[in-house]
Amino acid sequence: MGSVPLAHYLALGSALFAVGFAALLVRRNALVVFMGVELMLNAANMTFLAFSRAHQTMSGQAAAFFVIAVAAAEAAVGLAIMIALVRNRNTLNVDEVDTLKY
Amino acid sequence: MEWLSAMNPAEGLQDALRWIVLFPLFGAAVNGLLGKRLGRANVHLVACGAVFASFVISAIALYTVSFGDVSRITDQWWRWFSIGNVPVEMSLTIDRLSAVMMCVVTGVGFLIHIFSTEYMSHDEGYWRYFAYLNLFVAAMSLLVLGSNLLVMFVGWEGVGLASYLLIGFWYTDDAKAFAGRKAFVVNRVGDFGFLLGIFTLVGLFGTIEFEQLKALSASITPDTVLEAGIFSGWTLGAAITMACLFLFLGATGKSAQLPLYVWLPDAMAGPTPVSALIHAATMVTAGVYMVARLSFLYAWSPTAMATVAVVGALTAIFAALMAYAQNDIKKVLAYSTVSQLGFMFIGVGVGAWWAAIYHLVTHAFFKACLFLGSGSVMHAMRDETDIRLFGGLRKEMWHTWATFGISTIAITGVLPLSGFFSKDAILHGAHANPNLFFPWVPTFTYAIGLVAALSTSFYMWRMFNLTFHGERRGMLEHRAHEGGNAMVGPLWVLAGLAVGSLVWGLPLSGGARFENFLKPVFRAADENIARMTALGAQKLGVPVPPPPAHDFAAMLPGYLIALVVALIGFGIAWYLYLGPGKDIPAKIAQGAPALYRAFANKFYVDEFYQAVIVAPLSATARFLWRVVDAFAIDKLVVNGSAVLTGWIAQLFRYFQDGNVQRYAVVMAVSAVVILWIFLG
Amino acid sequence: MTEAMLFYPMALVAIGGALGMIASRNPVHGAMYLVLSFFGIASVYVLLAAELIAALQIIVYAGAIMVLFVFVIMLLNLNEDDLERPRLTPGTIFGGAAALAFWMISFMVFSDLPDQTMPTELPEGFGQVASVGRLIFGPFIVPFESTSILLLVAMVGAIVVAKPRI
Repeated sequence: MGSVPLAHYLALGSALFAVGFAALLVRRNALVVFMGVELMLNAANMTFLAFSRAHQTMSGQAAAFFVIAVAAAEAAVGLAIMIALVRNRNTLNVDEVDTLKY
Repeated sequence: MEWLSAMNPAEGLQDALRWIVLFPLFGAAVNGLLGKRLGRANVHLVACGAVFASFVISAIALYTVSFGDVSRITDQWWRWFSIGNVPVEMSLTIDRLSAVMMCVVTGVGFLIHIFSTEYMSHDEGYWRYFAYLNLFVAAMSLLVLGSNLLVMFVGWEGVGLASYLLIGFWYTDDAKAFAGRKAFVVNRVGDFGFLLGIFTLVGLFGTIEFEQLKALSASITPDTVLEAGIFSGWTLGAAITMACLFLFLGATGKSAQLPLYVWLPDAMAGPTPVSALIHAATMVTAGVYMVARLSFLYAWSPTAMATVAVVGALTAIFAALMAYAQNDIKKVLAYSTVSQLGFMFIGVGVGAWWAAIYHLVTHAFFKACLFLGSGSVMHAMRDETDIRLFGGLRKEMWHTWATFGISTIAITGVLPLSGFFSKDAILHGAHANPNLFFPWVPTFTYAIGLVAALSTSFYMWRMFNLTFHGERRGMLEHRAHEGGNAMVGPLWVLAGLAVGSLVWGLPLSGGARFENFLKPVFRAADENIARMTALGAQKLGVPVPPPPAHDFAAMLPGYLIALVVALIGFGIAWYLYLGPGKDIPAKIAQGAPALYRAFANKFYVDEFYQAVIVAPLSATARFLWRVVDAFAIDKLVVNGSAVLTGWIAQLFRYFQDGNVQRYAVVMAVSAVVILWIFLG
Repeated sequence: MTEAMLFYPMALVAIGGALGMIASRNPVHGAMYLVLSFFGIASVYVLLAAELIAALQIIVYAGAIMVLFVFVIMLLNLNEDDLERPRLTPGTIFGGAAALAFWMISFMVFSDLPDQTMPTELPEGFGQVASVGRLIFGPFIVPFESTSILLLVAMVGAIVVAKPRI
């Protein structure tokens, strides 16, 4: 049991993605949903880095860098939206935010 | 108006012909759009003025083509369109034939407009009435003046429309609206034949211009077998017969011949001056005019000519018989019109073209006078039309009685008046013109024509006597009154014309004046008949028959027979309705009830059509309406698709609830399914 | 030898943290579990020879973003009534099933992959700050500058959205 094969890294990434996905689809607290999104971004980063390592090229690392930057921007805006949501509707439950049907 | 001051009137007329059509058209537009605000006097002025202007131009045109250097004037209006390489010109042509027609249309039309100003004085829709009437004159002018078949067809349809509008003028009355519809539908059948005829001629000759057709017709060889087109394998003669029969079908519709005459008696639902103008004097003669216009083609087809003559003869006798037992003053006149139109078709069918046109003109005068006279009677008798209620009106309505009497003498063919000469010219043509191909046709048409003439004399005098003589039988408390100048004036003018037009038909040595007058128009037709006869004689191996004699001696027996026949009819009518035999008609009606009912019910032709054509059609229509349209299309397809959409929408509404997370679930499930399909 | 010894425990930590995040009712607990998961992920990044990214993961994610989360949770001052109660709805069933199916499909796909092992030898300075910096300020300069503008825009946007009155 020496080095770990690429497939295991990828499996870890997909497992993290599935958990984040489940958080996105199942949880009703908007904050937890948002955390699920962050987790999915990390899962994507995991595959970037795994392939970068496997192919010995650094481009994957550059992509992961940008993903982190975008995640930071997304977190800022997303949390601002949470605050606005609580202020206007006094709820964080996504079930109660259904104005999209109009 | 510069054309008036032009040096050569024929040159100016080239641009003026269109105004014959345009004046009444503008009159119709002005009255139709603004008539309600213009007021009665202005509407009358516009309508009568427009028709009078057309009449003036027509009269100038008639003068020009009669005495000027040219016998034909063409107004090249604009190029309408081209079908393939067949150009269709919007052009108007006037020659002696159409000039005469135009003067009759606009002249009689003008008189009837004048008459209408008083006749319609109690009607609220007078402006509509005059708009329609002007529209009719415009369409009729287009029909007469058109220099090709398609322009003629536009006018043909236009008069049909005007006729429909005027028959159903009092459209709040269901029966009258229905009569208008019937006229329209029956005419459609004929118009369909007319269109097929036009198409056939385009296919055969590649042109629809009358002049070009005339030029081409001179060099026809009927036995040529056609190579191309839908008539390939036919001989040219057979194809021309086909075209002529199609066109004649159109004529039977418009001119109320067998089997399509049924609309004309019902058309009497319209105002009486309309019956005078449209359904007696002008529109219904359009078929005769059309056959005369295309006489050079009919000349090549003995079959078509024989058909025209036989249909005309049968219509003449049939309509005359139906008129026997009619008690409605206008219905009698309507059947009389059908019968007289049959006479005209005998004329064109036997090659006596000028006689047919001459009868058309004289008939326009005296029949318009008769209709206006009946209108005058109705005006005086609270719109009553049953002649059994009239009687003795001579004392109250002297002018109407006198003019009606003159016209009755004219129509029955008693010697000195125009009707005698015109009708006799036709009968003479019928038995004098030799027919190599159908030797029985002259005898047949002549015999039938004589019986029809006898019948005409009988029923006209019967009506006249019942209406104006004897004692009043009904409406005893009502006092009839003569109309004003606007009604009496046209009556006298028309009666005068019915008398005066005899000068054209006097059997002078060398032919009647009218015959010589129209000779240039029908020269091509006569030449074609001569060619056809020569060909036929060659084929049958008989000598070419000599042309009919023109001397007075040869015609005298015919004249005497016709006169005697007319007097016999008069005698019977006098004996049965005024003389000692007053109670015989009732006895006949009682003694032979089946016969009487057959006469009174017009031989059940309407009922026959109702059962054979209308009922199956309406059953089909009902099926299409109830089953196909209401159920299959409306309920199943239209509403069904809406209901189905509703159901599906109900299903998908669940997904469209605004819950973003549920949208995400749908997206996720779809993504997984796609992954499964492509990777799993 | 060392790689495998470190990878599987750290992978377990990452997945366990993620599952803890999804299972906790209180968002503060969820955030803490997520931080735990991020640490595990960062360790795996180190195993993948991405030292800089691993450091950024700790600093940006676990440090900045999660602190922001917790800060917002505190700001909103949720009480017991606002916590969600687990419910079984069609949405949760289908959502969970979809996530599970996704993982299973991907697992099947990866288990079919040929047993490719990582190359043992790496270029000099692979994943170091210097080489990543040369890459970012070299071929990736345009995306990098765009990212800085994106961050500026996100900052302005966050302020505009979150402030009650501007």
